[in-house]
Amino acid sequence: MNAKLQNNNFSKRLKTMLKVDFRRMFTMPTVWIMLGVSLALPILILVMTSFMGGTTVNPQTGVEETVETFTNVWQAIGSAGGAMAMDLTSMCNINLLYFLAAIFVCLFVGEDFRSGYVKNLFTVRSKKLDYVLSKTIVLFVAAVGMFVLYFVGAMIGGGIAGLSFDVAAVGATAGGIVACMISKVFFALVFVSIALTLAVVGKQRLWLSILGSLAAGMLLFTMIPMMTPLNSGAFNVVLCVLGGPLFAVGLGAVSNVILNKTSLV
Amino acid sequence: MNAIEIRNLTKTFGEKRAVDGLNMTVPQGAIYGFIGENGSGKSTTEKLICGLIQPSGGEIKLWGKDYRDQTVRSQIGVLIEAPGCYPNYSVWNNMKLQAANLGIENEDQEIRRVLHLVRMDGAASNKFKNCSLGMKQRIGIAFALLGNPALLVLDEPINGLDADGMRIMREMLTNLSRRGTTVLISSHILGELEKIATHYGIIRGGKMLREMTAEELNANCPTFVALKTDDMQKARAILERAFGRVEYDEDHGELRVFGKTTAEDVAKYLFENFGIAVSEIRTAKINLEEYYIDLMQEGR
Repeated sequence: MNAKLQNNNFSKRLKTMLKVDFRRMFTMPTVWIMLGVSLALPILILVMTSFMGGTTVNPQTGVEETVETFTNVWQAIGSAGGAMAMDLTSMCNINLLYFLAAIFVCLFVGEDFRSGYVKNLFTVRSKKLDYVLSKTIVLFVAAVGMFVLYFVGAMIGGGIAGLSFDVAAVGATAGGIVACMISKVFFALVFVSIALTLAVVGKQRLWLSILGSLAAGMLLFTMIPMMTPLNSGAFNVVLCVLGGPLFAVGLGAVSNVILNKTSLV
Repeated sequence: MNAIEIRNLTKTFGEKRAVDGLNMTVPQGAIYGFIGENGSGKSTTEKLICGLIQPSGGEIKLWGKDYRDQTVRSQIGVLIEAPGCYPNYSVWNNMKLQAANLGIENEDQEIRRVLHLVRMDGAASNKFKNCSLGMKQRIGIAFALLGNPALLVLDEPINGLDADGMRIMREMLTNLSRRGTTVLISSHILGELEKIATHYGIIRGGKMLREMTAEELNANCPTFVALKTDDMQKARAILERAFGRVEYDEDHGELRVFGKTTAEDVAKYLFENFGIAVSEIRTAKINLEEYYIDLMQEGR
């Protein structure tokens, strides 16, 4: 048998790689757990904090203190104005998903290296760009799913907790919230690409990529409310819709170089 | 045309030279037995061929093209060290992923075909992590066979296989080779390798020590007369004076007389001149394992 040397063009290679990644993602229990957590998290946060009644007892001093809890369901999505306050509503909102998404990226990519599956992938693929691009797309889709489910969960949780749905009360508009969600979803590409690059650097060392991603996430965490406030406008949308993919392209190129220059097994 | 051509290949890990100016030629359709001690650079060379690690220098060509060329890479099936499967996925789902990776159209049919080839039809629904070592090895071979690759790179594929598994493996590789598939196979089980290999490459310290065909190996392996007597020490001294090279083989507890002589001549010489009776005598040939051990000892 002579080798059937066929020229697999970029689109065919990307198509097969996407097929592998999507098929794997939807047969992976972790993705369903992550999506479930994304849905359950806002319900738990909103319902549980509503039971706190706005007060808590400091265990050290025994003094009753007032806690800024959720009064409006949109606080679970973000805050208007863009500045991040150090209170419960600012810390426990949809922005937590960026960390969850980063952990999922590390688990998804790390498993390729830990299981040795990369041997199968890269023996028949010399272009590492297919891998980076496919992973970015698939993990972005997963992140979008997580954000959508969090949004749905927030609505359900808000309903159960009896919170206000008044948009104006939080200084936003319906359009602003839509723009905010679009901005947040595209901003996820920044976290996805950072975690992807760190996962490629860490390879089998999952702990390294997870810790790195969380550390990078902490550095970026204060930026998120500024980039994606609840009253987002066209500027925020354009910034995130263009900036997110551009950032992903830049870091994707770095991941590609790392894969090309380092040992894969 | 040669399926693999390697020139001056070098791979260093820090100070250590794992592969040191290696030259290697694997003709199309050959079953190339790649032999060497632990740490001699076999697996590293195989990983380099498959593009899993980057060479520090030298050239690798597959069917005359650079090994990084996408057109040649899609023609390689690989089993290096352990099979690369997701442990929590079933064997079937793992194979579906690889079939998608290869862009195979009739995925289910192809997966059934390769699982049948390695007699693992019944294991498709098992989680990979629950498979035994031998089963994993067979599944790894099935993985490598997906999509009918023109080049198979198999690192220690018969480790953990039972007798039946080894037989199936032998038959399968021989059939594939007849159809033109090139097989690069490394193994420490030289007896098994000798049954199927058409070419050999012996590597030491990252350098190719010797490359030869099975016919050349056969010609290089001397025949000898093996015998047993009651007084081996005395017989050895006598035979050494008369025939030159005589060795005592501890494994078989026999004396081996090398050179152009026959069993009859040796027995007659001992009995007629010294009254030493021979209890067992046969003519045999050095096998691959013995040849390899001799070669390794020569270099030390």
